[in-house]
Amino acid sequence: MLIGIDVGGTFTDGVLFDNQQSRVVKTVKVPTRNEQLQSSLLAVLDALLPGQERGGIQRIVLSTTLVTNLLATNTAEPPALILIPGPGLPFEYLLTFPHSYIVKGSIDFRGRETEKLDRQEIEGVIETIRAAGLHKIAVVGKFSNRNPQHEQSVRQIIMDKFPDAEVGIGSELAGQLNFMRRITTSYYALMTRQRWTSFALEIEKAIRERGLDKVPLDILKADGGTMPLRNALQYPCETILSGPAASTMGAKAITGQNTNAVVLDIGGTTTDISLLLDGQPLYASRGACINGKYTHIKAISTRSLPLGGDSPVCFEPQKGVYIHPIRRGPAVCFGGECPTVTDIFNCKYDLNIGDAGQSSQSLQRLQKEAGLTLPELLELVEHDVMQQLMEALQNIFMEWENEPAYRVWEVVHNRKFKVKRIIGIGAAASAIVPMLAAMNKVNSFIHELSPIANALGAALARPTLAFNMHIDTQKGSYFTDYDGVGGDLPRGQSMQMVDAHKLAREVMQKLAEQRGLGEYAEEAEFVREEQFNMIREWDRIGKIFELGMQIKPGFIKEFEEGSL
Amino acid sequence: MKNTGVIFFPAFDWAISPTHPEREERLLYTRDQIFEEGIMDLPNIHEFKPRLADKKDIARVHFCVPNVEAQITDAHLVSAGSALVIADAVLRGEVDNGFSIARPPGHHAMTVAHGNRGFCNINNEAIMIEYIRKQYGLRKIAVVDTDVHHGDGSQEIFYDDPDILFISFHQDGRTLYPGTGFVYELGGPMAWGSTINIPLPPQTTDEGILRVLDKLVLPVLEEFAPELIVNSAGQDNHYTDPLANMRFTARGYAELNRRLAPDIAVLEGGYSVETALPYVNMALLMAMAGIDYANLHEPDYRPEAFKESAKNLEYIEQIISHQLFNFRSRQQKIEENRKKYGHEYGEHQQIYYDTEGISEDQARRLRICPACPGWRRIDSSARHRDGKTYHVFCISIPTFACPECQKEAFNAYQDMAMYNHHYDYIYLQDRAKDRYIALNVANGREEVYE
Repeated sequence: MLIGIDVGGTFTDGVLFDNQQSRVVKTVKVPTRNEQLQSSLLAVLDALLPGQERGGIQRIVLSTTLVTNLLATNTAEPPALILIPGPGLPFEYLLTFPHSYIVKGSIDFRGRETEKLDRQEIEGVIETIRAAGLHKIAVVGKFSNRNPQHEQSVRQIIMDKFPDAEVGIGSELAGQLNFMRRITTSYYALMTRQRWTSFALEIEKAIRERGLDKVPLDILKADGGTMPLRNALQYPCETILSGPAASTMGAKAITGQNTNAVVLDIGGTTTDISLLLDGQPLYASRGACINGKYTHIKAISTRSLPLGGDSPVCFEPQKGVYIHPIRRGPAVCFGGECPTVTDIFNCKYDLNIGDAGQSSQSLQRLQKEAGLTLPELLELVEHDVMQQLMEALQNIFMEWENEPAYRVWEVVHNRKFKVKRIIGIGAAASAIVPMLAAMNKVNSFIHELSPIANALGAALARPTLAFNMHIDTQKGSYFTDYDGVGGDLPRGQSMQMVDAHKLAREVMQKLAEQRGLGEYAEEAEFVREEQFNMIREWDRIGKIFELGMQIKPGFIKEFEEGSL
Repeated sequence: MKNTGVIFFPAFDWAISPTHPEREERLLYTRDQIFEEGIMDLPNIHEFKPRLADKKDIARVHFCVPNVEAQITDAHLVSAGSALVIADAVLRGEVDNGFSIARPPGHHAMTVAHGNRGFCNINNEAIMIEYIRKQYGLRKIAVVDTDVHHGDGSQEIFYDDPDILFISFHQDGRTLYPGTGFVYELGGPMAWGSTINIPLPPQTTDEGILRVLDKLVLPVLEEFAPELIVNSAGQDNHYTDPLANMRFTARGYAELNRRLAPDIAVLEGGYSVETALPYVNMALLMAMAGIDYANLHEPDYRPEAFKESAKNLEYIEQIISHQLFNFRSRQQKIEENRKKYGHEYGEHQQIYYDTEGISEDQARRLRICPACPGWRRIDSSARHRDGKTYHVFCISIPTFACPECQKEAFNAYQDMAMYNHHYDYIYLQDRAKDRYIALNVANGREEVYE
């Protein structure tokens, strides 16, 4: 038995899945109490557990909005930032957060020190931070992903001078290229880490107290993969946007086909759109965006429209009939007061959702008010809904097709997104998705499990792990953008691509084992590989290898894809 | 602050040869610097995706021998296409200006292309400029070639075009490839003065180059009043470039671009891949986007090391006044030429393709027309690297040709095609009608781009 729980902004969904029979045994939905996430989460768990043998539960996966809420409400204690930018963009571009301090020191793109740190200056900054009453400090340097020594030295000075401070360094928190995103990611990681850790540990305790003391407990991440809860404590920001990730993985699970598909999660208030490319979720190319700032958090690319099944259909003499972006309550067919998008489709296609008679009565009132015939009203609103969705789809396809390319091969083999099917999930999908698919001349896919696909996605998702490795044979060292992992190369041998692969595999194995995902390490694939001869004066003095390796999002071995 | 469009196309899968300066590694550290800075995330920087240029875009500028396919790889189409994408973005007003950081480069490629010259097969700027004229109807355009090497290809392509102002400053041709770009190369008889060369002594610094910019380039631009300014942006004036001997800095490049304010910059040469390119590309990008570059410099930059000697400044001042005089007497000189040459002007030249060791013989004739820039014909022969000798005849009708010249040139093509069998190929480049024909004389087959 597998359990998946997805805490959403409005509802918390849970599913109990029998992986032997490949069927859903029980589902639960409760309204989310945002100020008491833990209680919503446990309420779902407690509703799923009765009648289940504790020993039969093999895994619990949680997808939560705690960190998302902390980031949105800005209620956690802010960290101070010590930045080591060196030459480049003006410093004012880097001062995007309060309590940012710039210090001397510089590293270049090959990890060479080009300006030394000034210890006195750093000690002064630490004093200022302490005097300001702050306890968290993120230290972030430009090119610290090529040489973390400056960041490490500053951390050491902080630990000597201000032992109570919680310190994080950019090379360990966000090692990918892009200093600005490293600053943002490090800042938010430090801001939310304490609160996230205590939340996660409390949840863990509560679950253990329910007689589930041996069950593996995993957290769903923004990239559609999971990570053991204990390991996730260090990475609060990875847990943001796990809701859309859960939905996308759920959609992938129910279709069981690795084709190009659009996933439309049509809820009450919003529609979230994501893409599956040959069954793989498409990532946001610039990382997750938090409060309008790009980060290094790998996240499934999702577009959210303020349009859902509960979006009210309104009439005003000046504006005519229009769809209001803010939800006021459920559709009339579910006892609401104001007709909504669901009522429109219910009536137009005789879908028999809820109390269909109520739908048509409320629409007749609206139709008269607007001076339209009923068919005209239905047509008008449907057209508006389709227009909004079609436009969003076109934009998403175009954005993906127009992603920058850096190799001749990529430009010659131009990208074109050919949709094979539109997968509808979420409560209002069955009303809208078939029409949208027909307009796009592709198949629609709606499964009986569509309404709880998010919780199912969480329950079935497998762990993911990804890193980029930069190998510089002239310097004799390598670095990854994961946790600041790096090291020296074996001396006295020339390195070929096969050796680089071998090194990356070893690192992957080690990282995966440390994080309790050892059994998935061999599934890791190379997603990028580049090699550069370094030529000076017409002679080769070394090579640079750049490799990207990833355990891609997918499903745990206990689930057979296509079995639903 | 300006909205700046950027294409960064490092062609990480293309090289002339593994150890050649024009190799995969060339923009690797530039990639590191630009992406680490995060400049692409700024709201006023817009990164575009490259596209492939059409073969027709190339035929509009070049006579590729024997055909377009023979002279290019996909990388060339992408590099030229990158300039076109940037041109579109600028001319449609999506951005204020744009920078194509793409390789391979192009400014040594000439009208007739038998092979690779100075790492270039096709001329990205020229292809972009003729595209802009066709697509957006612009006529007067200025190219400022800031590469350390004389932009001999661009000069040759526009030599008879009075509506293109071509200005190149570079290390003196007596000390550096391609050995041209002297003050007396001022344009064809009917476009005299719209080519301005400024050969600079080795070791010229920021101060010297900025002096040339302020006192010669900018005044000439103002008087010429182009509709568009293009920076043919080589980066090898840098003090660390391995192939040249100048003393220009990243900050100097930034300052140059701020003052020049080009609408479009297209990367050309620059082979100091670690110590110059990351900083110079960043500097250019910042200057174009209107970002303060006071904090940008090379790790070993010391301002006091880049002062110009009094002797050099005096020499530079002399060139400035000499070329200002030439530029300002261009109308008078053109009238003199018209009287002197009557209705036709011809010359012979030999062109050397250093990369491939090809020697080309050319005889060129320009129809001198009172109503338009006049049509050209080029008789060219060269032995290619594969041992085959090609003898070709090229007819070129300019975009703004008068109806008589168009007719005359087309008749000339038909006559040649019908009666002249000495040639392997006969080409018609009709920019006015935007139609390009290559006739294979041996089998009588015409390949047409229209």
